[in-house]
Amino acid sequence: MKPLAIALLNVRRLFRDRSNIFFVIITPFVMIFLMGLLFGGGRQLHVGVAGGTTPLADRLATSLGSPSIQVARFGSEERLLADVERGRLHGGLVIPAGYEATLRAGGRAEVRYVSRPGDPAAADLGSRVRWAVSREAAVLKAAQFGAAEGGTAGRADAGADAGAASAFDESLRLASGNAGVDVKVVTVGRSEIPPGFGQFAFSAPPLLLLYTFLTALTASIGLVQTRRLGISRRMYASPTPARTIVAGEAAGRLAIALLQSLLIMLGSAVLFGVDWGDPLGAAAMVILFALVGGGAATLLGALVGNEGVAISVSVILGLGLGALGGTMVPLDSFEGTLRTIAHLTPHAWGYDGFAELVRHDADLPGISSQLGVLAGYAAVLFALGSWCLRRALVR
Amino acid sequence: MPVLEITDLTKRYGDLLAVDHMSFAVEEGETYGLLGPNGAGKTTTISMVVGVLDRDGGEVLIDGLRHDVTSVKTKALIGYVPQELALYPDLTARENLRFFGHLYGLTARPARMRITEVLELVELHERADEAVTKYSGGMMRRLNIAIGLLNRPRLLVLDEPTAGVDPHSRNAILESVQRLAAEGVATLYTTHYMEEAERLCDRVGIVDAGHMLAEGTRRELVGLLDEHDRVILRVADGAARAVPTLRDLPGVLKAGGEDGDLELIVNEARSLLPAIIGALGEAGVEVRSVEVREPDLESVFLHITGKALRD
Ligand SMILES: Nc1ncnc2c1ncn2[C@@H]1O[C@H](COP(=O)(O)OP(=O)(O)OP(=O)(O)O)[C@@H](O)[C@H]1O
Ligand SMILES: [Mg+2]
Repeated sequence: MKPLAIALLNVRRLFRDRSNIFFVIITPFVMIFLMGLLFGGGRQLHVGVAGGTTPLADRLATSLGSPSIQVARFGSEERLLADVERGRLHGGLVIPAGYEATLRAGGRAEVRYVSRPGDPAAADLGSRVRWAVSREAAVLKAAQFGAAEGGTAGRADAGADAGAASAFDESLRLASGNAGVDVKVVTVGRSEIPPGFGQFAFSAPPLLLLYTFLTALTASIGLVQTRRLGISRRMYASPTPARTIVAGEAAGRLAIALLQSLLIMLGSAVLFGVDWGDPLGAAAMVILFALVGGGAATLLGALVGNEGVAISVSVILGLGLGALGGTMVPLDSFEGTLRTIAHLTPHAWGYDGFAELVRHDADLPGISSQLGVLAGYAAVLFALGSWCLRRALVR
Repeated sequence: MPVLEITDLTKRYGDLLAVDHMSFAVEEGETYGLLGPNGAGKTTTISMVVGVLDRDGGEVLIDGLRHDVTSVKTKALIGYVPQELALYPDLTARENLRFFGHLYGLTARPARMRITEVLELVELHERADEAVTKYSGGMMRRLNIAIGLLNRPRLLVLDEPTAGVDPHSRNAILESVQRLAAEGVATLYTTHYMEEAERLCDRVGIVDAGHMLAEGTRRELVGLLDEHDRVILRVADGAARAVPTLRDLPGVLKAGGEDGDLELIVNEARSLLPAIIGALGEAGVEVRSVEVREPDLESVFLHITGKALRD
């Protein structure tokens, strides 16, 4: 099995270099950890609430709290804003003075969320606050509806105001689920990141894509060196057909890409408890994306004449396409044209595929379009890479 | 049947005729040297011989079999030592050998034994498990050769195997080539070191600008010159007395000299030397020193091409 021998030699050479061990084995996990903290909301978030003194306002303020969100009450809006500005808080919620009365009268109240621009933690907190507020809004709406329908029977003797008030409270109690009534919260559209979603399950898939592609591309350096030193010619002088050498070298890049992605997948499952979803779907994603990376590396390795150029191109393409494809700043935050452009990269399709698997429990058929696009990339890159490498060999 | 026979081999790079209708043959056990300056077309010829470069014309036969870039069967008969150090620098000598052994189809056990053999042959067995990057230039050259010997080739092709090595390594390399030739391996050797060609090669082809200009044994090539060997002797006294005796020796074309010095023009200095010393002894002339000057391949090259072998 000569192609296998050639492929394995490539893997062996990769790990002969100590710095590669660090680059391939250690840094991905450090990055998953850091990116998880940064974008995945794994740290303590601090939110301030101003105007939370009346019972309903207090309800809302309390509902914001969770193990990862600490709520601080503020007497005045000015002090709240000052603390947000200084970065002491990730964000602040301002409940207006008429909140309680407006709601009890069946009206619409508005609350304001303030944060500093460009703070990813604030954006993360913002989405959690919005989530909590919309849930509270649904409950309040149900309570208003209950009150308008005349409240609970057996309250006729009370005064009209008092009756309406207690009907509201009674409905609120029921709607809140204390009496076993569930209020289903319906939001329009799909939340991209389900609440309670693990922070590392958020950061691991994009970094798998980033590293797999980057590591595969840097594996082109070995191929460039093999050509430049005349080793590939020497291989060709042995009784080994050109197609075997090409297959072996291409398989070598693929093996390195596969190794990197499997390492990240299994490592993040063990270290950070990331659930990669449907095993078949995850396997298909990993294999196809590794094929894309391996194909690109073979093409690069066949085209470039010296290792310095190969390194530069690998880093520029690896990081550039990675960033554009949403593996550094989450693809979810891309909108409009940028999102369309992002989908010129295989990374964005990989991102979408993994998002379906990891966040929304999709199975293999559920990611068929992403798999199809990746298969297309892989086929084109491998065909081009093999053709160029064969030409470079015989020339 | 020659082990290697090439006929009208031709290679063109654009307008440049790098190799122009080159023909020669190498027999079993014979060492054939291609001697020529930089850019003469030696490496291009060799690349077509080992089958890593497509030719534009002509034919290559290995053991009588047609041979080109796709001939896996004949490639198995050739050992190739390229001009460049085609080694994985980050792997050890043994790992390099194991990998190429695999490509030549050696299976595990025979490969292990053969690797030990070739490592000993090039005197690298003591440092076989060190990464190649830690080797000296000469050690890398020797490993480069060891890989070419792995498959016990019928035809060994060496492209300037001694470029830039120390005298010790050079000697080790030349000795191993001589040993292989003695075992019957046909060898094609390129160099622009004239001394190497003279020491190793049974026959030499002189090439320049893609052409084979002259071919033959050293003697045959030197015969192309109007030059003969010279023997210069320093004697104690009685030089004049000895001159007539020396003139009468068969093979001596001219003899002359004054007091301390004698100069002879002869056919073959090396074989005549004992007779010359003997004759002087009989004449009672004491010899202090002897110097032999033979016309060499360098002079032949200069004569044929009008330029020096090395820049
Ligand atoms: N790939 C190539 N493309 C174009 N020209 C080439 C190529 N390879 C060699 N040549 C040219 O062909 C001629 C013969 O080169 P070759 O390498 O065979 O010479 P050589 O005798 O081996 O020289 P040296 O002693 O320097 O190794 C040179 O003029 C060289 O520039
Ligand atoms: Mg050369």
